[in-house]
Amino acid sequence: MMKIRIVLFVSAVIAVFCFFQFWYPYHFFYHEQNQIFLWEWEYVSGYFQKSGGLSSLIGDFLTQFYYYLYAGSTILTLCVALAGFLLYQTLTNLKVNPWIALASGLCVIAWLTVCHFSTSYKLSSTICVIGWLLFFWAVSAIRTKWLRLACFLILLFPSYLLFGTPKTGRIQPPDFVLEKDFAVDNEYHFGNYDKVLDIVKNSDGWTAQMQFFYNLVYAQRGQLPEHLFDFTPNNLGTFENIGPETPRLTIINMNELYWVLGDMTFTERAAMMTNVFAPDNRNVRMMKRLAECNIVSGDSIAAEKYLRILSKTFVYSRWAEATQQQLAQGQFPPYLAQKKPFVNHRDTITISDNAHFLMMQLLDHNPNNMIALDYILCSDLLLKDIMNFKRDYDRYCADSPRLKPLYQEALCVWLAGTQASQEEWQQYIKMNDVMQRFVEYNNQRGNPRFKGTYWYYFDKIKAPEI
Amino acid sequence: MKPLLYLLTLLILLSCTPTPENVQKSNDLPPIYPDYCDVTIPENIAPLNFLLRTDCEAVEVRAGEMTVNAKGNEIVFDIDDWKDMLSQNAGKEIEVTVSALINDQWIEYKPFRWQVVKDKIDPYLTYRLIEPDYEIWNQIQIQQRCIENFETNALGHYEQLDNRCMNCHTFANQDPQLSMMYVRGPNGGAILNQHGQLSKLNIPGSVYFGFSPSGRYITYSTQRIIPAFHSMPSKRLEVYDAGSNVYVADMQEHRVISSPLLADSLKFETFPTFSPDGKYIYYCSADSVILPRDIKNLQYRLVRIPFDEQTGTIGNQLDTLFTSHLSPSTSHKTSVCHPRISPDGRYLLYTVADYGTFPIWHPEADLQMMNLQTGAIDTLSIVNSNKSDTYHSWSSNSHWFVFASKRDDGLYGKPYFCYIDNDGKAHKPFCLPQEHPTFYDNNLKSFNAPELGKGKVPFDVDDVAKAMKLEGIVFK
Repeated sequence: MMKIRIVLFVSAVIAVFCFFQFWYPYHFFYHEQNQIFLWEWEYVSGYFQKSGGLSSLIGDFLTQFYYYLYAGSTILTLCVALAGFLLYQTLTNLKVNPWIALASGLCVIAWLTVCHFSTSYKLSSTICVIGWLLFFWAVSAIRTKWLRLACFLILLFPSYLLFGTPKTGRIQPPDFVLEKDFAVDNEYHFGNYDKVLDIVKNSDGWTAQMQFFYNLVYAQRGQLPEHLFDFTPNNLGTFENIGPETPRLTIINMNELYWVLGDMTFTERAAMMTNVFAPDNRNVRMMKRLAECNIVSGDSIAAEKYLRILSKTFVYSRWAEATQQQLAQGQFPPYLAQKKPFVNHRDTITISDNAHFLMMQLLDHNPNNMIALDYILCSDLLLKDIMNFKRDYDRYCADSPRLKPLYQEALCVWLAGTQASQEEWQQYIKMNDVMQRFVEYNNQRGNPRFKGTYWYYFDKIKAPEI
Repeated sequence: MKPLLYLLTLLILLSCTPTPENVQKSNDLPPIYPDYCDVTIPENIAPLNFLLRTDCEAVEVRAGEMTVNAKGNEIVFDIDDWKDMLSQNAGKEIEVTVSALINDQWIEYKPFRWQVVKDKIDPYLTYRLIEPDYEIWNQIQIQQRCIENFETNALGHYEQLDNRCMNCHTFANQDPQLSMMYVRGPNGGAILNQHGQLSKLNIPGSVYFGFSPSGRYITYSTQRIIPAFHSMPSKRLEVYDAGSNVYVADMQEHRVISSPLLADSLKFETFPTFSPDGKYIYYCSADSVILPRDIKNLQYRLVRIPFDEQTGTIGNQLDTLFTSHLSPSTSHKTSVCHPRISPDGRYLLYTVADYGTFPIWHPEADLQMMNLQTGAIDTLSIVNSNKSDTYHSWSSNSHWFVFASKRDDGLYGKPYFCYIDNDGKAHKPFCLPQEHPTFYDNNLKSFNAPELGKGKVPFDVDDVAKAMKLEGIVFK
């Protein structure tokens, strides 16, 4: 009978591990990034200013290791298994029927597992449950009744100070859509761009988040115009304004967009905002980004502030220390050095984070910023704003035309709409096949055969409302 | 028995902590953080705990008669020993020698001095903790810290106040029995503390304010604040007023007193403060320009207008005390912010920046001090840094002031204290000491709007939360 109980318990534990490892792994990165744990007494002692300090300390300590593959699901599985085991042991100590004790233990495992489906439920809450179960198990192990009661009363308050009160998570089914959003975000963050594209292409449905990273990958490969209409509607991120009400994932997206565009003012702002709205005002991913963007913008003492903090972490210390050493020798990590030419050295003031205006500033400073150029032109085209597209094209492509079929198609629309002269057609339209197809399209306007062309989009698809 | 125990503990500690031997002398000052080398300190300050910015295995500090040995790079003084040392050396200098064990070699750095003065600093400091990107906020706190030790208590805490925005806790005459702070948001208002009795005031549009000497009046500015962003990443954030005026509020009769001279639609008026005798309102004024386009042409001048506390009337004669062309450095334009007069009426401390009204993100923002008897201006070169130095507040004895400086990392403001001796000479400032030397390294909040007070305020955050539920007193 004992063997059957062990098999049942182990099976449940394996099921938990498999679920989190194979169906829910990207949630771990969200938790890992939305905190920072420093290996330092000043920081650690801060945990004990509130009740439940030990639970929070252990929870945050373990959460930092979610960064590593398999670590998140292993840690989480061991924690929920420990909670189930402790309840089982406590109940058997109290002479409860072993099958009822097992069922109770499995219920705790199931309940904690469900709690962890939610992003708002932290590992420290599970550690709190473990702490209290440990307390009950220790008390239940005492044989003498009066001694058991005495220990219970004596240890109750210290246990409260150490473990706090358990917080139940929002009971919800697993959010696999959010898991996909986390997947593209994190694979992008880790530099696995092909995997981002695979995830998006192999999905049945596409969220705005997935489209955003899909575009961001292609923009860096200089192929945004070719893939602009892979999705309709599409999300470039350039129509977002961020503020206190903006979802945190969108703020992180904007940070990635500004970083790619080369706007360090707004990269820093979005990183700061992510920190501000993180649970304890700390997001380790954005801390790294703050160090990076200050290195790029040349503010080495500000960068040093964040590198010093990161050097006290387990996961990021190697990167931080290597970067500190490079900076001390007057060198820059190559991926940061590449960004330097894009930093704006002309000072203007704007009262909004209107991406179109920001991209114009970046392009005015450095017309070779092809990512900003593609984003600004594609944003105009998504809005069907042909006048601004033509203005931006003339402003930034007059000397070196950006020859992409999409832009040529859009120029055809402008030239036809303004009844341009033959000279103007010759001046702008350099791809003969585009010209031929435009003639064909005009004979069959709206024909789905032309899906993927700007003309079809212009005639048949609704532009996003901003 | 007890002395034996102490001796035993000391022996155990000494046996564990290396002490200097075969010392090599260095001509450099020790790389300590915060920079406490050659600073002037009051005899009632908390221990100046610090760390060495170097990879060392052990450190020894000899300060006067006191010797502290520690493993690692952090020095934490025993608070009782520290207080004894300061009281024994009040009015004298203490020589401080730092030695560090680096790669198995003891290095003794060039000694520095702490000048301990008998002029005490007001023992309480209030400030707001906020991320440096001031246009957004979350989980704000207003704290009061006893700077004679490390005790801190919250006056406003996001948990009890529904995560609202809070700002500007200001005393009347540094007196904890009369002070005011703002809690923003729905049903927000100014929380007035009178001997621990809290009331909520609805003073229309009030932002920056200062009490009159009697406490009956406050002078305040109203402004439409606009955040803006520089395209150059090093300049970051700009904040300007799309419109601003100055008023006086009578706290007894709950009425607003205005003057066309202080609410000129063609001018921006801001940062009002009463003179210690209550006869003048000092404030900053600028001709309006098109914003944000012409912000670099927005220079505020320092002006004053008479005020009669007996009758509550504002005068009609403006005096200009400082304009851009009167700047000691005539090579560039100068804008004045935050005038604050010392309680003895001798000095006027203010911030100068190249332009605008928000010097917090201006690295060129510096403090200046005007002698109100002679008109002489001290540019306070020993006080200022190459980062923003601004938002200052005087101690009640006029010998100390606190200001917020971003000198360490350019991002996070920290309180620095500066001594003004009897001759009006400023001494090198020092940073608010912390219990843990690494506190500032790990801290991700700015110490915003620091204000000195003579004592602990007689209310706490729960009282503020209760006061928020009161009906606000409307000013007419």
